Amino acid sequence: MFINPKSVISTNPQSHPAQNPLVELRDVFKVYQTAAGDFPALNNISTQVYPGEFLGVIGKSGAGKSTLLNMITGVDDVTSGQVLVHAASGTVSIHDMSEDDLALWRGRNMGVVYQSFQLLSMLSLLENIMLPMDLCGLYRRTESRERAMDLLRLVELEEHAFKTPNLISGGQQQRVAIARAIANDPPILVADEPTGSLDSVTADHIFAVFERLIAKGMTIIMVTHDNNLGPRFSRHLQIADGKLINGNNPLLNGEQP
Amino acid sequence: MMRPRWRKIFHDLIDNKMRTLLVVFSIAVGVFSIGVIAGTYVIISNDMSASYAANQPMNVELRTGSFDSTLVDTLQNLRTVQAAEGRRVFNLRVRIPGNKLWTTFDLVAIQDYSNIEINLLRPLQGSSIPASKQVLLEKKALENLNVPIGSELEFQLANGTLKKMTVAGIVQDQTSGAGDFLAPPLAFISMDTLKYLAQPESFNRMYVILAQNGDDPSYLNELAANLKDKVEKNNVVVYRTRTARSDRHPMASIVEAVIGILGAMGVLILFLSSSLIANTLSALLNQHKRHIGVMKLVGGSQGQVFGMYIVLILAFGLIALLLAVPLGGQGAYALSAFIADKLNFNLTGYRIVPFALLIQVVIGLAVPLLVGLLPVLNGSRVTVQRALSNDLTQDTGTKREVSPRPESAFEKFRQRLMAGLARRGIHLPRPLLISLRNTFRRKGRLALTLFTLTMGGAIFIAVFNVQFSLNQYIEQIGKYFIADVTLDFDTPYRLKDVELAGLRVPGVQAVEGWAYASAEVFNNDHTAAGNVTILAPPVESRLVEPILVSGRWLQPGDERAIAVSESILGLFPDLKPGDNLHLKINGKEADWIVVGLFQFVNQEGTIAYGTYEYISRLTHMANRSFSFRVVTTDHSPEYQQAISEELDAYYRSQGFHLREARTGLSTLKTASESLNILVIFLLIMAVLTALVGSMGLAGSMSMNVLERTREIGIMRSIGAGNRAITSMVIVEGVLIGSISWLIGVLVSFPITYMLSSIISVAIFQSPIPVHFTFEGFGMWLLLVLALSVVASLLPARNAARLTIREVLAYE
Repeated sequence: MFINPKSVISTNPQSHPAQNPLVELRDVFKVYQTAAGDFPALNNISTQVYPGEFLGVIGKSGAGKSTLLNMITGVDDVTSGQVLVHAASGTVSIHDMSEDDLALWRGRNMGVVYQSFQLLSMLSLLENIMLPMDLCGLYRRTESRERAMDLLRLVELEEHAFKTPNLISGGQQQRVAIARAIANDPPILVADEPTGSLDSVTADHIFAVFERLIAKGMTIIMVTHDNNLGPRFSRHLQIADGKLINGNNPLLNGEQP
Repeated sequence: MMRPRWRKIFHDLIDNKMRTLLVVFSIAVGVFSIGVIAGTYVIISNDMSASYAANQPMNVELRTGSFDSTLVDTLQNLRTVQAAEGRRVFNLRVRIPGNKLWTTFDLVAIQDYSNIEINLLRPLQGSSIPASKQVLLEKKALENLNVPIGSELEFQLANGTLKKMTVAGIVQDQTSGAGDFLAPPLAFISMDTLKYLAQPESFNRMYVILAQNGDDPSYLNELAANLKDKVEKNNVVVYRTRTARSDRHPMASIVEAVIGILGAMGVLILFLSSSLIANTLSALLNQHKRHIGVMKLVGGSQGQVFGMYIVLILAFGLIALLLAVPLGGQGAYALSAFIADKLNFNLTGYRIVPFALLIQVVIGLAVPLLVGLLPVLNGSRVTVQRALSNDLTQDTGTKREVSPRPESAFEKFRQRLMAGLARRGIHLPRPLLISLRNTFRRKGRLALTLFTLTMGGAIFIAVFNVQFSLNQYIEQIGKYFIADVTLDFDTPYRLKDVELAGLRVPGVQAVEGWAYASAEVFNNDHTAAGNVTILAPPVESRLVEPILVSGRWLQPGDERAIAVSESILGLFPDLKPGDNLHLKINGKEADWIVVGLFQFVNQEGTIAYGTYEYISRLTHMANRSFSFRVVTTDHSPEYQQAISEELDAYYRSQGFHLREARTGLSTLKTASESLNILVIFLLIMAVLTALVGSMGLAGSMSMNVLERTREIGIMRSIGAGNRAITSMVIVEGVLIGSISWLIGVLVSFPITYMLSSIISVAIFQSPIPVHFTFEGFGMWLLLVLALSVVASLLPARNAARLTIREVLAYE
């Protein structure tokens, strides 16, 4: 894959993960232009996410939390500001990459999970998990199959490997989506309301999976509207009207802690 | 194990069978049409002339008075002649004994069957050499009299005597009647049989193959004139000269032109089917937007997505090829065999035409790729944000649509129309309103669907108009054959005698004698240019209503004056009324004034009309004639048939040596029948285009229904029943069909003119007047409405079957 050199800030990230952020948002603004005038969805957001964190972004509907997540994944463009990721392969500025470079980078470095699962209905669970490995070319075919089976085992769905998504429950589908998101072993997992459409028991299963991944050293950023989930994160940020308003974050809205 | 991305493409191919079938059939129809036309073109253009040339066709045919083998030897000894052969050709009525129905055959007497050098006969069945009182039937004769070998046929001589002969064999003569739709069927006898049939034991046809340059038309004409001179110097009258190239079937150019027209329609079908493919593929890419978004989300690049969908299109093309290539090959051979049978030549055998195969493969793969390129490119460029925008958590993303879309001009028009109708108290039913609005929602798709259906309809209507125009033209040509019955005698009779006898038969109104002459036309440098057959009715005859192109018709007192058919322009392009033509008639050369040019079927060479009064004097036949025209009180074909039989019997009973009494319409009937073959081909192509059109509509309706799944679910949840949903979809289909009919009617006019011009120039060498018939417009209206209902039925049924649960599950 060819990544635009401009987007690579440094190929030598600082060695102490506890003190060096993995994801860094610098002065991020997102303004939607509407017929009724400009609508600021994100207003001067600066924050950092550290390796091994399970970070929650909590806010009401319309607060800007999904927009924030879309800025981190690069699915949507920033109006101004920067999103930097200091991955093992080097530091990249997400929004300086082309759409194509970003797709491949994301496939290798950042797993994404949505509330609506986004599984391909014509493929079996196993094939859905193998898809990112196939597209990014990191694993040989037999290797990717074994790895996909391992991941299914991790999310406790091994026995359903050859079923299509419509034959399993929503909670199970979400677990497959998580398995797919970590198929290429990315350091970061981003989840947008992954438990939003699930009952509390199923949601607990999902959290259990996340906790297992955190234990393995993965960094997870999760968005939710549910204030009660705050204690389950290692750290959480509150977002309202496009601003970070509270949380145990050392850097809030560009202010020094 | 297949890679997941290719597994996805495989599922895309097999999961939505309707869509796959639609795309595959759209490609296959175009590939099939082109395959049939290209294959036929190659087979026919090779085999037609090769088969003709293999039978050693004559270069020059002279229709003469009686001569013997001395004259044949004289010509044979000429340096310019490779082979010369004399035959006797005459026609007799023939029937199966006991049967009432008579058919006229041309009987050909050949001297030595074991040594034929010109116009070879190919034995098909039984003996190939007839003994005395035996007859060999030409293959085509079986269409009129289907009798087995060994059976007896009854021939009626000029004096009414009946003679029986046995059918000894069936042969094929590919050359004698080639190029003449109107030639009677042939039967072959030995010279020994001539006496039995009261015919002189001499020849009246000279066939010649030239020693060289048999393929050069101007050399052929020159040599034919020389040969004619030679024959006339031996005191043998030459009635008519005909020349033919040895390397090319006389009908080759017409057949190639017709296949060319079919080819143009094939290309059009391909064009229409490609718009259908484009429509379906862009709908497919639209439906797959989310899949593309997901693939890009998990690491898929634009190139990978593009490659996947290109492979999908290639797979559609490959399946279509598997279907269309064998069918196209079979179709090409079947069409070639049909044409070969109609024109009496043989194909060299079934074969796969590499050129047709190649063109099919290229078209089957390249066309879908070309038309699919833009939708695939656009589809693969879609961003994750746009692709997943409907499914992503609607946190703030919807803010873009806070304000309503600006109203389109169409929307404003629709609202004004509805308000206007409401003010007048007209309230359209709600389902109809929904259908109306739905019709115009996807304007790009609607435009492509309308285009396909409209073109199919316009061609359908145009084919009917062209058929009508051709028939009208034939009817016009019939104005040269107004007589109800034509009487041909073996010897000339006084006009008064034939007229008086005829008038005694009830129903006969008038009898008039016509004169004939064969003229040789010369160029300014006195080289032979060609031949003209001059027909000479009495100057005040009402039995010819010419279609004059320029100048005037003949008038009393016209001497050395002719009106000549337009085909003379092939020899003298600048000829106009008032100019002179240098003619040689009965050995006498003179300048003749051309008073007018008229339109006529050019198939039979150039014909001209002179006045009986002058031509009969010139041919020493004043007040006498071989040929008479009869006008009867009733002009229906049945009456003509009945009275021709009556006249036949009456003249024979009065001692007249009548050769044949035939109805005026019989010639016309044969001509229309041959044109009908062409019209059938055109109709097949028109039906194919209509089929592509309705497939387009069916595809569009399926896509519309699929895209409105959520909407249909919501309608169902608020109380819309099966009937309401079904009728909403069907009304939309019928609405599209009706709009396409309206536009199709308009487009059919230029297409009619174009098609008519191409066909008439191919057949008649000049454009014919165009006439329009309601038949095509009406039939297409009924057909398009029926097709619209049928095309919407399946999507409507699918829509009605959707449950709210399925709608929620819809991706």
